[in-house]
Amino acid sequence: MKQRTIPFALAALVVACFLAMPALGQQDMKTIPDEGFKTKTRLPAVFNHDEHNEKAGIAECTACHHGEKDGKRDPEADTSGIPCSDCHSAVAKPGRTSLMRAFHKQCMGCHMDQKKGPVTCGDCHKPLPK
Amino acid sequence: MHALYDLAVGPLAWLAFGVFIIGSIYRLLAMRALALKKDGAFMTYISWPHAIKSLVHWFTPFGALGWKENPGVTIATFVFHICLFLVPIFLMGHIVLFDTFRGWSWPALPDGVADALAIVVVLICAYFLWRRLSVPEVRFLTTPQDVFVVSLVGLTFLTGVLAYHRIGDNLVLTTLHILCGEAMLAAIPFTRLSHMLFAVFSRGYIASEFGSVRFAKDW
Amino acid sequence: MSTIADRLIEDAGLRAGVSRLTPEKIEKVFKELIAGECGARLKTYLETCVHCGMCAKACHYYMSHKDPSYMPAAKVTQTMAKLMAAGGKVDPKLIYECAQVSYTECNLCRRCIHYCPLGIDTGYIMSVVRRLCHKLGCTPQYIQDTAHSHSATMNQMWVKDDEWPDTLQWQEEEARDEFPGLRIPLDLEGADFMYSVIAPEPKFRTQLIYQAAAIFNAAGLNWTMPSMPGWDNSNMAMFSGDSEIMGRVERAHYEMAQKLRVKRIVMGECGHAFRAVYDVGNRWLGWKWTPVPMVHSIEFFWELIQQGRIKITHKYADPVTIHDPCNVIRGRGLMDKLREVTHFLCEEVVEMHPNREHNYCCCAGGGVINCGPPFKNVRVAGNSIKAEQLKATGVHTLVAPCHNCHGGLEDIISKYELGMHTKFLGDLIYELMEKPEAE
Repeated sequence: MKQRTIPFALAALVVACFLAMPALGQQDMKTIPDEGFKTKTRLPAVFNHDEHNEKAGIAECTACHHGEKDGKRDPEADTSGIPCSDCHSAVAKPGRTSLMRAFHKQCMGCHMDQKKGPVTCGDCHKPLPK
Repeated sequence: MHALYDLAVGPLAWLAFGVFIIGSIYRLLAMRALALKKDGAFMTYISWPHAIKSLVHWFTPFGALGWKENPGVTIATFVFHICLFLVPIFLMGHIVLFDTFRGWSWPALPDGVADALAIVVVLICAYFLWRRLSVPEVRFLTTPQDVFVVSLVGLTFLTGVLAYHRIGDNLVLTTLHILCGEAMLAAIPFTRLSHMLFAVFSRGYIASEFGSVRFAKDW
Repeated sequence: MSTIADRLIEDAGLRAGVSRLTPEKIEKVFKELIAGECGARLKTYLETCVHCGMCAKACHYYMSHKDPSYMPAAKVTQTMAKLMAAGGKVDPKLIYECAQVSYTECNLCRRCIHYCPLGIDTGYIMSVVRRLCHKLGCTPQYIQDTAHSHSATMNQMWVKDDEWPDTLQWQEEEARDEFPGLRIPLDLEGADFMYSVIAPEPKFRTQLIYQAAAIFNAAGLNWTMPSMPGWDNSNMAMFSGDSEIMGRVERAHYEMAQKLRVKRIVMGECGHAFRAVYDVGNRWLGWKWTPVPMVHSIEFFWELIQQGRIKITHKYADPVTIHDPCNVIRGRGLMDKLREVTHFLCEEVVEMHPNREHNYCCCAGGGVINCGPPFKNVRVAGNSIKAEQLKATGVHTLVAPCHNCHGGLEDIISKYELGMHTKFLGDLIYELMEKPEAE
């Protein structure tokens, strides 16, 4: 019996960790995830999720993690936890927003509206600060 | 600075492209009207087959006597003008702006290539400036406007290169880069840079005279 | 750096002209000229010249002096560009400089068009500067004298109405000693062609009329020469900037041919006259092409050779070189025909380089030699490049089918002691042709 408990407990721990990921994972996030791109022309944009949101005073996940309704952006739906590249593919079909455009619009668009935050190429696509 | 950047990529960009496009169309149409009104006895000889034949020679490096006799300037001129068009139009950073704000996209040059070509443009601008100041033949002709336009082009590319390499404050350099580029675009119809608009026609006209009246090549 | 202001030459016509000017008068005339006669060409040329300096090597003046102020673009920046910048309100001293540059330091040879990527026609800009100087009454005395002659007599050399037919008949008489059946048919209506020459031929190169008559006689041609004004095909008013007189001279020439109902005009071996008749006069008078068909002697001799009408007893033995006159080469593309004729006549032709359309100017044409003695040294010193080019051929005979070229080339041959002599095609044909009648 005891011999069975240990693997089970380990497995449960793994599952728990897995489930906790969306809530905890961003603490380690230093850059925008670029796995969705086949070729990477620039360094990934520097982005510390929690620090950014704290600084920008963003509490609602939907401020960024929006959903989709009838091919349009749906600001109500909360899609946090779903990788952006699941919906925004690197090469978008006509009428859809490509991953690069989605990122640029999301970051640069907001920064320009808010008149805060980096807006130039080199202020995001740069080596991680040490 | 943020506000200036917003201004540069927003209203000023519209203004620069507007001045460039509308200004260029206006200059071309006004010049055409003037030519028809005042140079009728010369426009009548315009012959596009002869003009095109001559232009092919002049658009070929070392394809005309002037190019052959000035090899240094020829190489610099061709490389310079090719890069001048290629780099801005096919630069990833520029395409991204159109892609983000207007949804237009087209293939880009690899960043490394574009970077190298942009550095080449800066170096050639430096060469042109050097010629202006130290080659007696060029210095004799040089006016402040000549120095201004070549500096404007050089600065546009220099700030672009520096911004790409994240040398200096990126926002300041990028903003400067955009402002220089916009000034350059807006200057095209109204300075010596207007040779971009008129060169094909001035060469085409004289080629027509040489080809259809004088039966001699003009290259 | 030296400029035109550092090398002004005293000329009575220019000095007197400039003394009558004020900045206000210059401004008025300049504005009228720009508004009335200039258009998109001048505007484009002045605005787009990027001052690259590539045209330097085009100009024989620059190549001879290696002084930047002689390069084509510099001629513009020292004259028209200054006038434009000031809206014409300039010190009269500048008009003196403009006149000296445009009349005596540019032959309007158009070689620079082969150097300018933008196709800027510096010769045209210099013509506009000359036109301004003419309108301001500020022209070199010698060329103005020829323009006066054109206006008073319809010929360049003050040849009087009776002197001209007299000279033709004198030459006919002379030639009849050699060719008993020879005629110089005057005013023969309906002839195949009217032969026209420049006024310096009756004045001091009468042997050229003699030779032409001999060639046409041997070839059995149906030709004529007019006895009345309109016979002179030269046109110095074209170069002095006097377009009105230029137009009258050309009209007289075309109308003389029309009155004689000839099939075409054959022009003697002159370059500027060809330019006037073929390219300039017709436009001023509103004709797209010449109202009467016309050919230059080079082309005419070429036709006669093709038709087998010129037979020669032997070829010219000494090697010769060919000078390509701008007005019939860059102005009419006769370089191949010139070579075919020369090769037909001569054993050995040594080409000079550059040649054909790229040939260096003789430095006499464009009215420069006609500005007379005050400017002679300048044009001779300004063509040492041509002297080097001639010397490099190593030959002693120079074929140049143009009067102005002869004048300019003879001057540099003598100055640089090249030991060459110049020949017209007519000289060679006359020397070599079969003369069955000759006694």
